[in-house]
Amino acid sequence: MTNHAPPAGLRSDQMFINFGPQHPSTHGVLRIALTVEGEVVVKGDPDIGYLHRGMEKLFEARTYSQGLMLTDRFDYISAMHNNLGYCLAVERLAGIQAPLRAQYLRVLVAELNRIASHLVFFGTFAVDMGAFTPFLYAFREREMIMDLFEELCGGRLLYTYMRFGGVSADLPAGWAGKCTEFLNFFEPRLKEYDTLLSGNPIFKSRTEGVGVISAERAVSWGLSGPILRASGVNYDVRKNDPYCVYDKLDFKAVVLQNGSCWDRYYCRMLEMGESLKISRQCLAALASAELTPGEIVAKGVPKMFKAAPGQAYAHVEASRGDLGFYAVSDGGMNPFRMHVRGPSFINVAILQEMLGGCKIADVVAILGSLDIVLGEVDR
Amino acid sequence: MKNYIDFVADASWNTLKGLWVTLKFLFLPSITVQYPTEKIVPYPRFRGMLAYDAELCIACGMCVRACPSRCIALAKAAPPPAPPPAADGQPAAPAVKAGPKIEWYTIDYGRCNFCGLCEESCPTKPKAVWHSLDYEAVFSTREEMVRRWKRGDGPWGTVKRSADAQPSAISDQIHIQDMPVRK
Repeated sequence: MTNHAPPAGLRSDQMFINFGPQHPSTHGVLRIALTVEGEVVVKGDPDIGYLHRGMEKLFEARTYSQGLMLTDRFDYISAMHNNLGYCLAVERLAGIQAPLRAQYLRVLVAELNRIASHLVFFGTFAVDMGAFTPFLYAFREREMIMDLFEELCGGRLLYTYMRFGGVSADLPAGWAGKCTEFLNFFEPRLKEYDTLLSGNPIFKSRTEGVGVISAERAVSWGLSGPILRASGVNYDVRKNDPYCVYDKLDFKAVVLQNGSCWDRYYCRMLEMGESLKISRQCLAALASAELTPGEIVAKGVPKMFKAAPGQAYAHVEASRGDLGFYAVSDGGMNPFRMHVRGPSFINVAILQEMLGGCKIADVVAILGSLDIVLGEVDR
Repeated sequence: MKNYIDFVADASWNTLKGLWVTLKFLFLPSITVQYPTEKIVPYPRFRGMLAYDAELCIACGMCVRACPSRCIALAKAAPPPAPPPAADGQPAAPAVKAGPKIEWYTIDYGRCNFCGLCEESCPTKPKAVWHSLDYEAVFSTREEMVRRWKRGDGPWGTVKRSADAQPSAISDQIHIQDMPVRK
């Protein structure tokens, strides 16, 4: 990329820098071992594992319903998706079908959580790029979603909302009205964000054309989510392998072409608009007479849950990409093996290829635009 | 040079537009809460610090089995002595009023995940173990995190300073906001 050969007659030295694990821009405990020559990065190696808790093993020591609590702690910014993916995998294992109302509720909370998660990205990415105001705006809106979730399920960050065959609680009285109020408030805010950040030339010159991932590289590194779609690959689990009621809803997968940091950023901004549309449709469906209030859990699911021997895989489109749960049962109370395909873990791997040749200041931009959550990288 | 001036003009114009957005909110009321002096009361479903009622508990152990992190432990009380068999021609003696069915009950707040599975599994009505709305908890040692109720204690969240003293609220341990709200 950049020619970093020094001019003739000048001696240059390489320097080793630890970026993280306590650096504020790593959004967690990621360490990147950087070798720099002047201002140019020669080599960058992401070093993970500081937050490893052995979650996949912990599943084996817990019953299926107790394992639900663990899934919250993977991607704690969008815990609803983790809940949903785990429940779908176990339901597939046991052959349970959630009632329609529960499926609409699941999609509704998942999309609201996607908005909240992308708002965190919007805020922190702006801070990384030197703009502080958008952070406050993003967290103001996120707080409203947290409040909605608190009223719905009692948790503000770690929800444990889903259950096998449904969800744990129906909408409280007046919740749908509050949610509509929030969506009406939020829709014009998206334009405001564009004024604050997306169209800002200073922000653009730091992100446009920086950290470009071509479609071929994105696919061969196994990327997923907004990062993949920003590179021009139209792959969205909600479209390509619909779960719950996504095949009945009207939305489109956002695809941008260039694959630079700005595209990855803007892809998420457009996705928030799509999530908004989906949430509105879900609210309308929940208000219709076809879905009986209170019918939120499939009948006959025992409290002490036992699955027949077998295996099942289910994946969902989480905020950060394709989140998969692979459950193996030997017929006991606990899963025999639970494997998690965490999108952040796979997305962070491309750093080692992207960082070579870029400037030091771009490291933060590239890392921020990948939007990883270390709870999911290390598990 | 022209490009540079264009860029500066563009950036300044966009900065002004951004400032206009922030200016619009300058005169609106504040959305922040000054925490120690102002406090938000959570919604009824909020999962705060666990609370426990020994009068309602039937010592079935469902919460112990439901908890993912084994933070609850309990022991059943010995069954009350059976009333003496009724003598001929005499009405049977009234049954001895049974006290709490539980001997002791322990919650380790250091391990609690606030997931709500224990409350969900509790079979009594109203629930004997439930998440209160309290979100302020300060512990200074690990031992303090383990709260224990045993036969003869006052209600959960209180402590007897001496043998004859009335139970009083624990002020230096768990501060339940006002009263734990019963769901």
